[in-house]
Amino acid sequence: MSATALSVSGLTKRFKGSAVLDDVYLDVARGEVVAMIGPSGCGKSTFLRCITLIEQPEAGFISVAGKPFGREVVGGTVHRQPRRAVDAMRPKIGMVFQALNLWPHMTALENVVRPQVVVLKRSRDEATARAQKLLADLDLADRGDRLPHALSGGQKQRVAIARALAMDPEIMLFDEPTSALDPELIGGVLALLKDLAAGGMTMIVVTHEIGFAANVADRVVFMHGGRIAEEGPPGRVLKQPGDPRLQAFLSLIRPAAAEAV
Amino acid sequence: MTFDLSILAQYWPLFVKGTWLTIRICLAATIIGYVIGIVLALLSQIPSRAIKAAIEIYLLTLRAIPFIILLFVVYYGLPFSGIRIPAVITGTIALSLYASAYYAEIVRAAIEALPRGQYESARVIGMSALQAMRHVIFPQIVPTLVPPSTNITLTMIKESAVLSSITVAELTYQSLVVQGNTFAPFEAFAAVTLIYWAITAIVAHAASLLERRFGRARSEHLVGSALAASFLSLEAMPKRSRR
Repeated sequence: MSATALSVSGLTKRFKGSAVLDDVYLDVARGEVVAMIGPSGCGKSTFLRCITLIEQPEAGFISVAGKPFGREVVGGTVHRQPRRAVDAMRPKIGMVFQALNLWPHMTALENVVRPQVVVLKRSRDEATARAQKLLADLDLADRGDRLPHALSGGQKQRVAIARALAMDPEIMLFDEPTSALDPELIGGVLALLKDLAAGGMTMIVVTHEIGFAANVADRVVFMHGGRIAEEGPPGRVLKQPGDPRLQAFLSLIRPAAAEAV
Repeated sequence: MTFDLSILAQYWPLFVKGTWLTIRICLAATIIGYVIGIVLALLSQIPSRAIKAAIEIYLLTLRAIPFIILLFVVYYGLPFSGIRIPAVITGTIALSLYASAYYAEIVRAAIEALPRGQYESARVIGMSALQAMRHVIFPQIVPTLVPPSTNITLTMIKESAVLSSITVAELTYQSLVVQGNTFAPFEAFAAVTLIYWAITAIVAHAASLLERRFGRARSEHLVGSALAASFLSLEAMPKRSRR
C-alpha cells in the first residue's frame, strides 16, 4: 500500500497555445484533505478535469495509489495507456461535478447501482446492498426510488457523492461542491465533507469556502495563472499569506475569510 | 367515363403482391438505415478529423442527390464493379443508404443536444464510450428520436415508389403493369393512392402511440410522480379532445 493517494507531476494543459495548467506538481497523502482555492480562471477546475482525464493534458504524469494513470514510462519512453487500462483505473478517482450530472432517467438508487454493475461487474444484489447502505448513511434511505428531478439540491448532491463512493475510490474530488446550493444547505454539505474526512477519505476540494479550507483541510493550495502559487497548512497560508497575489485574493473575499480564520 | 371497379376485382392479387413487397422493402430499409445511422452518429463522436470529414462527405453526398440518381448509381454501379444481385436487393440497399443519412443526422443531433456532463460523468466513473452511450445517453434520447424519425420513414416509404424504375415489382410497379394491361390508369393509380395512404397512416399512427407512451414516461420524470403524470397525459384530458 502506497502512502500517497495521488501524485501529479509536471501537469501541463494548453488551450489554443496558452497554458491553463503550467507544470503543476501535487502529492496528496492517503487520508489528506486538500482545499484548492484561487480566482476563477486560475486552472482549478481544469486541474480536476485533467487528473480525471476528461481533458487530455499535454504533459505530465499522474498516479493513483502508486499506479500510473494515463501516461506511463515503459523502457525509458513515455506511452499513453490503452483505453481499457485507463477505464479500469477511473473508478479509483471519485469525482463529484459542480453540476452533479446525475442521470435523470434513473432513480437515485439506480444512479448508484448501475456503475457498480457495469464497471466493477458486481452482482445486482451486491451493488444494491452497497447502494442502500450508502444512501442510508447519507440520510437518503427513503429517497432511493425517486428520480433526480424529484430531489432537492442537497439530496441530489448526496446521491452524486454516494455514486462516487460506491466505486470505493482512493481519492474523492469535489468541484466547488457548495456553489450550486442554496445558502442554508451549504453548512450541511460542508459537515458531510468533514465527516468523510474524519472517516479517512482522501479528498481534493476546489472551493470558495475559506471557512471549510480553514477548518477541515490539512493543506491549502492556492492556484494562480495555472500554477500552484502557494501551499501549506491552512493556519499559515490563510493567516500569513506570503504571495502578494494570495494576499490580494484573500482580501477580496475578506468578510468570509475574516469570519473563519 | 365511369370508374371501372371490375379492373380492381380482376387485378387485386397484383396489388396485394406489390403492397407486400413495398412493406418488406421499407421495413428492411428502415432497420438497415437506422443501424447505419446509429453507427455513423456514434462514429461522429470520435474526436478524429479524418472520421468526421468522411462522415460529413457521406451525409452531404446522400442528401445532395435525388434519390432516383442514387438508385441508378447503385443499380448500374454494382454490376460495373462485378457484383450481380437482384434488383430488389439493390433497391433496398439504395433506400437504406438514403434513409441512413437522415437517421444519422437525427441521432447525432439528439446526442449532441444532451448536456456534455452526462457523458463525462459516465466516462469518469469508468464506463467505456459504448457503455456510456448504452446506459446513459441512448435511454435519454430515444423519446426525442421518434417524431423526426417518423417523418423520414414516411418520406422513405413514398420514395420507395422510385424502385419501380429498376423493375422492382413493388406497389407502384404493379400499378404500372395494371394500367398497361387495362388502359385504365385512373383506376390503377387511385387504388395505389389509397394503399399508400393506408400504409403511411398506419405508420404515423403507430409512431404517435409510441410518442405518447414516451411522452408519458417523460412527463413522469419531470414531475416525479405517476399521479401527477396521469394528469399531464392525454388520459386526463376531456373526452371531446380525444377524437
